[in-house]
Amino acid sequence: MILSSKLSLSPGTLITGRFKGSRYVIQRLLGQGANGVVYLVNKVGSGKQYALKMGFDNIDIQSEINNLKALHKQGKKQATAVIGSEALPYLLEVDDYIAQEGTIPFYVMRYIKGKALRAFLVHRGSKWMRVAGYSLLRKLQQLHAAGWVFGDLKPENIIVSSYGEVELIDYGGVSAIGRSVKQYTEWYDRGFWNSGSRVAEPSYDWFSFAVITLHMLAEPSLKRMAEQLPQTRSTGDLMSIIDSEPELHPYKTWLMKAIHGQFHSTNEACQLWKEQILLTSVKPRHKERNTPRWMLGAFVASLVFLLGAVYVSLGF
Amino acid sequence: MKQIMLITDGCSNVGESPIMAAAVAQQEGIIVNVVGIVDYGTIGELGSLEINEIAKAGGGMSQLVGTKELAHTMQMVTRKTVVQTVQMAVNRELRHILGDQTLEDLAPDTRSQVVEVIDELAETHPLDVVLLIDVSASMKPKLTAVENAIQDMMLSLGARQGDSRLAVFHFPGAHSGEEAVMDIDWTTDLHAIKNIFGKLTTRGATPTGPAIHKVTEFFRYGTLGTESQPLWSEENLG
Repeated sequence: MILSSKLSLSPGTLITGRFKGSRYVIQRLLGQGANGVVYLVNKVGSGKQYALKMGFDNIDIQSEINNLKALHKQGKKQATAVIGSEALPYLLEVDDYIAQEGTIPFYVMRYIKGKALRAFLVHRGSKWMRVAGYSLLRKLQQLHAAGWVFGDLKPENIIVSSYGEVELIDYGGVSAIGRSVKQYTEWYDRGFWNSGSRVAEPSYDWFSFAVITLHMLAEPSLKRMAEQLPQTRSTGDLMSIIDSEPELHPYKTWLMKAIHGQFHSTNEACQLWKEQILLTSVKPRHKERNTPRWMLGAFVASLVFLLGAVYVSLGF
Repeated sequence: MKQIMLITDGCSNVGESPIMAAAVAQQEGIIVNVVGIVDYGTIGELGSLEINEIAKAGGGMSQLVGTKELAHTMQMVTRKTVVQTVQMAVNRELRHILGDQTLEDLAPDTRSQVVEVIDELAETHPLDVVLLIDVSASMKPKLTAVENAIQDMMLSLGARQGDSRLAVFHFPGAHSGEEAVMDIDWTTDLHAIKNIFGKLTTRGATPTGPAIHKVTEFFRYGTLGTESQPLWSEENLG
């Protein structure tokens, strides 16, 4: 296993593939996942930009590559790619880089421009969770329909384009439905909240996404609940956050179903989000039903005047 | 696959060397992993050195963590060492077939197929894990966290497709000469793990070596193998 510190390569470093001979020049570090480090690179020759991920561990990174390959194959069969909405393939090349410290496996993928979910919401405003959330659910729907569960769903793995279109990155935690979830992050893990098993099933991803929604829109409350003693954490804690935060109100029905795993399918989860959350955000506003306060005040005042006038006219 | 996971917060101070006990366990096909708890800084340089050496001798991994990360770390260490064990077996087979080649020397496409097999085996191969918990005096404030981590571990094991069993031991026992005491026999039941350490009286000594030795015997014979218990029983014969 190669330690992460050995994977800090400086901009300008040339990466030559051991088997296929392609060459890439490192531009900058994009980020670090559970299984490796991702760099923005230029391919020598075409000059095109790609993301290149180097693995800490041979098996883990290969396992991730296998997941991507399987998704890719299924995508081709179904004519709608599970990952990658553009014609350009997500997984471009797999090879080894021979560094001084040893051989490092890497793969090259499409570079996705965008912001991680939190940064996106800071930039656009939290109401845009409605749009990004719907796009994410559609991604999950495709993944689940193909027989896979994402597993390690977290805000850092959700990349959002300027207008709310979502791409998932880091497929290291992907498992076939029915297997165990091999990689997870505590807050978004169903087991962490004593709310269900770690078997990879669509409901595992729904739960994670529900907690992500709480995290994005009601972070302080979620943090407080997460820091309780492990044996007292429960589904009820999450429900009480949903009840007490006004910002979560539009999401309430959806979140309740997701946390209890009560959708029949991810398709149903998508539909409900669309009907109750996405579409209500653009509905024309209702006319105000209640009489405004100033009008009430004016009415009372005019009554007083009337009584005064009557009193005066009767008195004399 | 057989694994011992030792959870401790300090150095052994009684009996045979835990490093040698771990080496013996490995000879018998048992991987020894160690998680060291560092909450109050009691582990020290000597302790962390020993933890490292026990895991090395036992063919496993060692990690130092706070109680907050305990559950997640135990899951991660178990999963990684299961994959490692399978990988080592596969590498042995590869050497058999391909001469001096290992996984790293294979071209990406072949490697991809081999890793598929490794992942499959890691998920489906039966797994037995004994948790060996140090309950010497300094561990007392950490035992609630340990118990929660054990429940969490059961949740992860239960999600595997292969049969997975867990047993729990603590050391030292209440009397001298009682190196390790069984709290829970092989189980697959999440609810069996409740209030394990409730009425435990903690003692000062830390006989890590003898405890590892006892658990190795438990793997070998299916019982603790003390004088008071027969090495075999009628259930074992049947």
